[in-house]
Amino acid sequence: MATSKSFDSSQEWTAGAFLFSGRPDPVWFIDLITAGRLEAIWNSLPASAASTLAHQPLLGYRGCFLRQPDGTEWSVFAGVITRQSSTGAVTREDPDRKFERLVLATAPANVLPRDLAI
Amino acid sequence: MKLKITIDVFSGRPNPTLYLEGREAEEAAARLRPERQLNRSEAKLPTFPTLGYRGLRVDFVSGKQRGLPQSLNVIDGDLFGPDLSHRATDPYFEDFICGSTGPIRRLPFPQNFPGLLEREINRFRKGRLKLPGRPFPLHKRHVKACRCAPLYEPDWWNDGGQKQFNNNCYNYSTNYRTDTFAQPGQAAGAMYANLTCASVRPAAEADCLINSPSANNKCPKEGHLVALVIWPNGDFHWYRKGRNGLWTHKPGGTPVTNVDNSGHAISDPRTADRGPYTDFCTFMVVMHGHIKIL
Repeated sequence: MATSKSFDSSQEWTAGAFLFSGRPDPVWFIDLITAGRLEAIWNSLPASAASTLAHQPLLGYRGCFLRQPDGTEWSVFAGVITRQSSTGAVTREDPDRKFERLVLATAPANVLPRDLAI
Repeated sequence: MKLKITIDVFSGRPNPTLYLEGREAEEAAARLRPERQLNRSEAKLPTFPTLGYRGLRVDFVSGKQRGLPQSLNVIDGDLFGPDLSHRATDPYFEDFICGSTGPIRRLPFPQNFPGLLEREINRFRKGRLKLPGRPFPLHKRHVKACRCAPLYEPDWWNDGGQKQFNNNCYNYSTNYRTDTFAQPGQAAGAMYANLTCASVRPAAEADCLINSPSANNKCPKEGHLVALVIWPNGDFHWYRKGRNGLWTHKPGGTPVTNVDNSGHAISDPRTADRGPYTDFCTFMVVMHGHIKIL
């Protein structure tokens, strides 16, 4: 059964989903090529009028994240992405949810529930 | 007994107010007696202020009516106030007050005012059904209190740090902080193997929770009641019944909350909006000091 492991986030790009209640949320590594693709998607996105993510449900899928080794983190939910870094927070819109779908697509097999609806 | 009735109808002018005393007040109070509690779909108020008639405000200046607070609102025959969301014995109480033969005729308004107000009340009745409604907190007096259940203390868990992030629904429901994101059966070396009711329930029993499938949302004499629900092949989730008879939960590392996925108070986890946790597995009892989780 897949559960979270200890990750050395100072060395690797990591991603994960905000998902579970009883089990630890899944976290996994992202390779540099995929990280580059995600950064390219981020750079192509327009700024968002919203400054925070949309209201997330209490139970079930609540979004996902991508974390860079330097601590920069993208939080994603429902077509809105917030990038938090040492220089501050920036929010952009991703109406097609390309970024979110790609992050979730990188999850190892059997880590996410088959019936996951985003 | 003396009642003050305020007709909430004007925007610029002060609302009309009248007083009922003696037998008239007693009759009005009898008509206001709560007949039955509103259900969740009925207990709604308009989400925004509207122009025109908006209901009656009733204040007991002196005297009391059993089952009614000192001040309440009457909206289309429904009563709203502290611990009150009920249908009135007389659902046409507003007509009793504002009809052409009602006490309203004593107000110093033009002769046609009662007729105009009656039409306005009827317009409000028809329109109310079309307005988006916000749920009114349901009257809680019928929820039986649970003497031995833990208090609802969200601030203690929701510290935005160690306690919140490292304790999950199992920790919260058992009221047992481990800071390990506890897993059913782990402490007993009998952790669940699958994310099904048939696998997680015995794992919790190995931690000395007592399976009580027939608890039927009733508080146990000792210990407190918890409920196990399953996201089939995805995850498990736990709720706990609090001292006030309502249920609360802690979704993973997120804050403790007393509402379900639809934002409603949880009187029964079997009927709550549980998102993907579609399988209600069982009720269980936590005997304080008897369990061990990790």
